[in-house]
Amino acid sequence: MKSKKKRAVIKPADNVVAYLLMAPWLVGFIGMWLIPAVISIYYSFTDFNLLNTPKIIGLANYIRAFTQDKTFVQALKVTFSYVLILVPLRLAFALFVAMLLNKKHMCLGLYRTLYYVPSIIGGSIAVSVVWKQIFGNKGVFMTLLSVFGINQATSLLGNPKTALSVIILMGVWQFGSSMLIFLSALKQIPYSLYESAMVDGARPSYTFFRITLPMLTPTIFFNLILQIINGFRVFTESYVITDGGPLDSTLSYVLYLYRRAFTYFDMGYSCALAWILVAIIAVFTVIIFKTQKNWVYYESEEG
Amino acid sequence: MRSKMKRIAALGLAGIMIGSLAACGGSAGGGETQPAGAGTAAASDNKTEQSAGAQADNTGAGEAVTLKFSWWGNQNRHDYTQKILDKYTELHPNVTFEAMPSGWDGYFDKLSTQAASGSMPDIVQMDYLYITTYAKNNSLADMQPYIDNGTIDVSGMSEAVLNTGRIDDKLAGIVGSTGTLAVGYNPDVFKEAGLEEPNQSGDWTWDDFAAAAKKVKETTGKLGVTSTGVVDDTNLFNYWVRQHGEQLFADDNRSLGYKDDQIMVDYLNMWKDLMDAGAAANPDEYAQIQTLGQEAGPVVTGDAGMINENNNYASKMSSRNSNLKITTPPLNSTNTKAMWNKPGYFLCISETSKVKDEAAAFISWFLNSEEANDIMMAERGVPSLSNVREFLVNSGKMDQKQKEMFEYADMVLEFSGEAPAPDPIGIAEVGESFKNSAYKAFYGQISTEEAAAEFRKEADEILARNN
Repeated sequence: MKSKKKRAVIKPADNVVAYLLMAPWLVGFIGMWLIPAVISIYYSFTDFNLLNTPKIIGLANYIRAFTQDKTFVQALKVTFSYVLILVPLRLAFALFVAMLLNKKHMCLGLYRTLYYVPSIIGGSIAVSVVWKQIFGNKGVFMTLLSVFGINQATSLLGNPKTALSVIILMGVWQFGSSMLIFLSALKQIPYSLYESAMVDGARPSYTFFRITLPMLTPTIFFNLILQIINGFRVFTESYVITDGGPLDSTLSYVLYLYRRAFTYFDMGYSCALAWILVAIIAVFTVIIFKTQKNWVYYESEEG
Repeated sequence: MRSKMKRIAALGLAGIMIGSLAACGGSAGGGETQPAGAGTAAASDNKTEQSAGAQADNTGAGEAVTLKFSWWGNQNRHDYTQKILDKYTELHPNVTFEAMPSGWDGYFDKLSTQAASGSMPDIVQMDYLYITTYAKNNSLADMQPYIDNGTIDVSGMSEAVLNTGRIDDKLAGIVGSTGTLAVGYNPDVFKEAGLEEPNQSGDWTWDDFAAAAKKVKETTGKLGVTSTGVVDDTNLFNYWVRQHGEQLFADDNRSLGYKDDQIMVDYLNMWKDLMDAGAAANPDEYAQIQTLGQEAGPVVTGDAGMINENNNYASKMSSRNSNLKITTPPLNSTNTKAMWNKPGYFLCISETSKVKDEAAAFISWFLNSEEANDIMMAERGVPSLSNVREFLVNSGKMDQKQKEMFEYADMVLEFSGEAPAPDPIGIAEVGESFKNSAYKAFYGQISTEEAAAEFRKEADEILARNN
């Protein structure tokens, strides 16, 4: 084997063809991602305000974020609560629906499609506007409450204590893509395992916790990382439904850095905020990767 | 082996996700700096080219030029402005236009990106909120030379109005229309509540205003006042501060101009009192009202009595409810000349434009000419030029509400003083801080005294950082 590999010399012409085939992606990657990313690192050390010539100010932007900026802390708080509440809820809900759909029903394809719809349209402006109408003052929700005799002075969206929950609820509602991944993973669990459990007379809950869940851990792991990263990027909901309000109670991190850049002409600072977020997400991802050997089960491994 | 493969695949996937995050975080910060970054280089290129271009322009008067013109507005404004541009091309066949219309939302996001990349349109419709920011960063050309050499005719404009566009000895923009604060009200609601309509003779006070709002609530159960922008921006508060003989921002724009926090405390107390009585929309109700759009707002539909607005309110709403009227905002005795002629919009020439002469000539025609104003019909507000106002009044084409808007503009001159300097850099952030402090007080989280102190602390910090 080894000697054969050595002999197969790669001709330069092959490389050219490969790069040509990669070119469309490479151009996009370098032009739309790599260069902007490098430039934004540079800007994060300057006082760039979109209109002036950037002047390097060292770490001042980063220091300002961590020592002087109350709104930054508030935005972090909001985003962390959002992610930490949303992700478990969404995964649990996605798994629950996936279990329901993992059976032989009439019109199963129809249900699957229907449950996936919120994921496609959920992030859109139009749906955000609808949620705003449902949960706002004089909205459907308030009207329903008053029908049942519960009169509220402020709506869910108008109350700084509850506004974020509406946004989280909307996030949970967009469980479709996690659900699809769970569904395909469920189908891959060997039926023989369930069969032997049945023969042994195991209760359904026991089967779920001893067979289904362990066999799903790689999928849960994958979904977890995906959803955490997505969660930190929440923007549309808090931009459209509440515009960060009331009292910054729904001010997501990305909305705040957007405002910094384009409303307050504070691009240098905004770039610094963007890189702080990248660091936060990187830390989360590394932590989850580090812990995976404690709880993620790969079939091919011993144990 | 397989598990290793899986892990590598998973790690790779996570890497891609983080990667796409940085790129997508770009939609908010990281990425969109790219055109900006490429632009700074381009901007300096443009400047050298532009001086060469300006010289070239002088040589050939009939040379074909294309003017880029961006403005904000609704569809109606887009349609008629295009007609005006077509008219100009008809009169000056060598000039064609590249129109860049847009709604108010996003207009300044787009403009800041264009400015950063050195591709600002030649002619920019500019708002009072942002003119200082753009002028101080040298994005706008000085227009004084074009007045001096007769290209732009401002003979019909008062010096005070013209000076609202002057920033640091530079005339950054020509003001196209002026507006003043006003209270819009629904006479039917006033009748229903058994109230007399606010008199126009200048002795209606804040107490009268509050009493009227409460009376509407008590007798009809409707909202007394829907209070658009009472704390959303600093306009009405600016008026309130002036009524106390002070100014909102210090002369050097590095701090607040008024010394006594009691001024803001009184302002917040008045609104909080009205909200607690159900007479003014609280933040929650206000958020709901905002989603309706102004044309379907409660004052228009007869579900509320008053709204704090501008003098074009009744005219703007006349297609929905032709009964609405406007009157002065409540007055007080300390400073009876606290109102001012607020610039409605400016027309500016970008510093990077290569066709400044043609742009200046067009601006003069756009503001002065009967052809343009015959199409515009004061849709952008009461024209800043007296010759245009006369032309419109004499044309006989104005409807009742437009006439009232013009009469109101003349009437309030009696209550108007010198306009405050343009809003300082950082005004958007100051506005956000003002809103948050006020909302905290309205929600009862902090006292109005604490809110006033908090706003002062934050505003001073923002102003000192930006100016």
